[in-house]
Amino acid sequence: MIKAKNIYFRYEEKFILKNISLEIEEGSFTALIGANGSGKTTLAKHFNGLVVPDKGSVFVNGIDTKKDSLNARKNVGFVFQNFEDQMVYSVVEEDVGFGLENLEYSYDKLKSVVDETLKKLRIGHLAKVNVNALSQGQKQLVALAGVLAMNPKCIVFDEPTTNLDEKNKKNILDIIKYLNRKDKITIILVTNMLGELKYADEVIVLKSGSVIFNGKKSRLNKKIIKGAGLDD
Amino acid sequence: MIKKLYFGQYRHRETMLHSLDPRLKIIYVLVLSILAFLSKSMNDMIVFSSFILLCVLLAKIDVKTIIKGLRSFYFIFAFLFLMYLMFSPNQLRQGLVAIWRFLMFILISMILTFTTPISGLVTAIEKLSSPLKIFGIRPRNIATTVSIAIRFIPVMFVNFERMRESMISRLADFRKMNHIKLVVSLMLHKMLKSASNLSDAMYSRLYNEGIEINKILKLKEYDYVSIVFVALFILLIY
Repeated sequence: MIKAKNIYFRYEEKFILKNISLEIEEGSFTALIGANGSGKTTLAKHFNGLVVPDKGSVFVNGIDTKKDSLNARKNVGFVFQNFEDQMVYSVVEEDVGFGLENLEYSYDKLKSVVDETLKKLRIGHLAKVNVNALSQGQKQLVALAGVLAMNPKCIVFDEPTTNLDEKNKKNILDIIKYLNRKDKITIILVTNMLGELKYADEVIVLKSGSVIFNGKKSRLNKKIIKGAGLDD
Repeated sequence: MIKKLYFGQYRHRETMLHSLDPRLKIIYVLVLSILAFLSKSMNDMIVFSSFILLCVLLAKIDVKTIIKGLRSFYFIFAFLFLMYLMFSPNQLRQGLVAIWRFLMFILISMILTFTTPISGLVTAIEKLSSPLKIFGIRPRNIATTVSIAIRFIPVMFVNFERMRESMISRLADFRKMNHIKLVVSLMLHKMLKSASNLSDAMYSRLYNEGIEINKILKLKEYDYVSIVFVALFILLIY
């Protein structure tokens, strides 16, 4: 699904990502974990072509993000950490339809996909509500609905549980798990919480812009976690 | 947070004003703003104010909400009035007329944003600005800029309030220039960060300035009635 080959990314004079090569299988649930400032979000943004590497290449279903980031993006949705800034329109159903407008859906088709997506996430009752009136948990679901409506094959969640209470954390993680298990959507969960690893099958550990572990969750050990600067 | 956001927020209601064609609403806003500017006699002002009040009632906008929404502008009203009082030869009357006009502009835009969802405004602005294509201007960019402003300006007010409270709780004094500078620079920093996040989010959802939104706008019976109604109102005043 996603293949990164020897990617380097530099911001000003500092390398944020250094020689990263990895592969994410279709249908997998991968956790991308690392301490703050380890380069997780920058790497995740490479997966949908928001950021392109200075050196090396990222391929999404064979599409080189440097050559055709738009088509790469159609395959990989991105739910941002700060979902407040992610909403373009002020009414829930309109915001969810923003991506579909860009995909040039007819109005009727757009409306039916939006309704269906809101229903799927059990937030149909919020369709006409102003996004500023939503709780944090609801905003997170609306942000997800906006991405899900576009029917991506893969979704990147950038620290989706930040600022959520325990109940909403569990809810969003259960939904993410459902999307992976039932809808077969490839999931990349960017996190710095070890507790969230229980949802993943594969784990990539980043430290100072380099991958220090990439493999099955069962192979992850305390030494690696400690080495990444994450508390056990 | 919504409790603090009274201005510029769409509220879903089943009213005639809500279902009017957004293109017409934008044109009415422009026409009414010009009329407000041209109104000088007391009679004109009373008729105009009554018309706006009628629109507020038709749109089922809670008067309390309007009063709360106007709070942010009290300072500007006072400032305007003082300026007229100090520098205008006809002082009091001119100052009051200026405040009335400003109030009407705010109420007219409030009615528009309360009764029109942003997608409606975007589609309408896009359709109305389509002649600009011949100058190489992309209508969708204009429409999206307006929609983002409407979506984020109230959020900025709330952010400003939060920042102000947090600074006051640490004994900031806004009579001091360096504290004012600090809050302005923090706000700018926050706004630029939000703009950067939003731009990333829009590109990740395939924002394409070249496309036209497929939503078809057609005038309905209500719209024709409203055209007659507004035309009669213009004739009544002039």
